[in-house]
Amino acid sequence: MFLQQLINALTIGSLYALTAMGATLIYGILGILDIANAGAYLVGAYVGWYIFHATGSIVLAFIGSMALVGLGGVVLQRTVYSPILAKPRTLSIIPLVAAVGLFTMSSDAVRLICGAGTKAYNLKFPVMVYKFTVFGKKLTIQPAWIMIFVLTAVLLFILWFILNRTKLGLAWRATAEDAEIAGVCGVNTSYAMALSYILGYGFAAAAGIMTGILYNSITPALGEVPSYKMLAIIVLGGLGNPLGTVIAGLLIGIAEVFLSVYFNLPIPKDAIAFVVLIIMLLIKPSGLLGRKNKV
Amino acid sequence: MLEIRDLNVSYGMMEVLHGISLKVEDKELVSVIGPNGAGKSTLIKTIMGIVKPKSGTVTYDGQDLTKMSSFQRAQLGIGYVPEGRRVFGRLSVEDNLKMGAYAVKDKERLKKNISRVYEIFPRLGERSRQLAGTMSGGEQQMLAIGRALMLDPKLLLIDEVSMGLMPIMVNTCFQVIKELNDEGITILVVEQNANKALKVADRGYVLETGNIVLTDTAENLRSNEMVRSAYLG
Ligand SMILES: Nc1ncnc2c1ncn2[C@@H]1O[C@H](COP(=O)(O)OP(=O)(O)OP(=O)(O)O)[C@@H](O)[C@H]1O
Ligand SMILES: [Mg+2]
Repeated sequence: MFLQQLINALTIGSLYALTAMGATLIYGILGILDIANAGAYLVGAYVGWYIFHATGSIVLAFIGSMALVGLGGVVLQRTVYSPILAKPRTLSIIPLVAAVGLFTMSSDAVRLICGAGTKAYNLKFPVMVYKFTVFGKKLTIQPAWIMIFVLTAVLLFILWFILNRTKLGLAWRATAEDAEIAGVCGVNTSYAMALSYILGYGFAAAAGIMTGILYNSITPALGEVPSYKMLAIIVLGGLGNPLGTVIAGLLIGIAEVFLSVYFNLPIPKDAIAFVVLIIMLLIKPSGLLGRKNKV
Repeated sequence: MLEIRDLNVSYGMMEVLHGISLKVEDKELVSVIGPNGAGKSTLIKTIMGIVKPKSGTVTYDGQDLTKMSSFQRAQLGIGYVPEGRRVFGRLSVEDNLKMGAYAVKDKERLKKNISRVYEIFPRLGERSRQLAGTMSGGEQQMLAIGRALMLDPKLLLIDEVSMGLMPIMVNTCFQVIKELNDEGITILVVEQNANKALKVADRGYVLETGNIVLTDTAENLRSNEMVRSAYLG
């Protein structure tokens, strides 16, 4: 039972990590809370659905949706966020309001274009469920979980590799710390920003598709819960810290599954993330892996 | 090598530099001295493209820099040691140096430059894996200079190298600056420590509240009455 719940929790948690990663990458480099990542998650799920049903290939659906949504992110960065931030003395609330607006627009656009009803991925795996016996306990694993776990691990590994093992990643980390000085070192900082959007929106799109497959349904409301839960996760992880986001995502997944299975909580499941966040912030205000802000 | 003409710079409504003109010849070491808030850092930031001028031109090697981004100026070989060091605190010493050479494409040259910086500042070599943010102020200043040298700069802009350093470190830094200039790097230093800055420089400018009030050879400036009373104490 415990092992079964742990597997559920880690599957959900890794989806959370992937969903929130875009917001973390964007916060890390631009210092803005881009709620519109939840729009990328929603649009990504729909674009993936259309590609899958047109071509029958889930691989194409992932690649195509991630690429299109990632490019869409760069377009938004160039046309909305960077111009706002380029204005002298921009209040940090302004890009946040823009992001909320973009997210609302994306939900409504999906509702208008694709209809308000539910769409099902109906992805057929060769085996619909695996059953094991471990330590005398019965264990069921759905292939969708394996797919989510493996794909998330691969994407996060690619992210880790780019950030820590390439020249572009070094430039990204330097830009995140001091964009002005990275610029005078020779970094075209708008590329570093574009990298955040391509990867961030692309990851959100992949997470959207995986959620669609996991629950076998997508609706235009798909982005609503992630739009706020994402905030809890990135703050919990220590704003702008990719590794912290992975840990926070898994932690929230674990907390949700175990608290709702073992305790009869008087609060809805989606509120647990915030309870965990509040407890955490009381203990360590800078988040799990956050740094204390320098003044 | 570097020519600035009629430069006006404002922050919002407040004009900080009022039509400044200044020249640095090939292989020269020029100092700009002036009190707090005179606009020295603003001048350097404008040359580096961090701050955009309202009017006036910055010409380097015959090219107009005015429309270029910071990264393009770095690619032209302009190195910058910012005020307050501003090393990348979450990166290792070596990664900071690699960042300094971001515009350098040749891997061999990168390696050569790193060993040269370690030769000039052996302390950096001993601590190549330490996070820059955990280094002492003096070590960070060495790193800031080393980072700028990684580019093989033709022109080096140095803002307030002496700030917050103990006297012996200040001397070391100025000695390094002098040696770099002897090796053929053109250098513009901006300093409150007029005494030291004028000792190593060929020529100097005095900047006060956004205007150049005096310019001469460093030697003449050091014996100038006004400079003596206001800056050399
Ligand atoms: N980002 C900014 N926004 C608004 N005003 C600024 C900004 N940066 C500098 N200033 C103002 O411009 C003036 C010149 O500043 P600057 O930093 O160039 O002086 P400085 O000569 O380098 O002084 P110091 O010797 O103290 O470093 C000051 O009055 C300062 O308050
Ligand atoms: Mg200054």
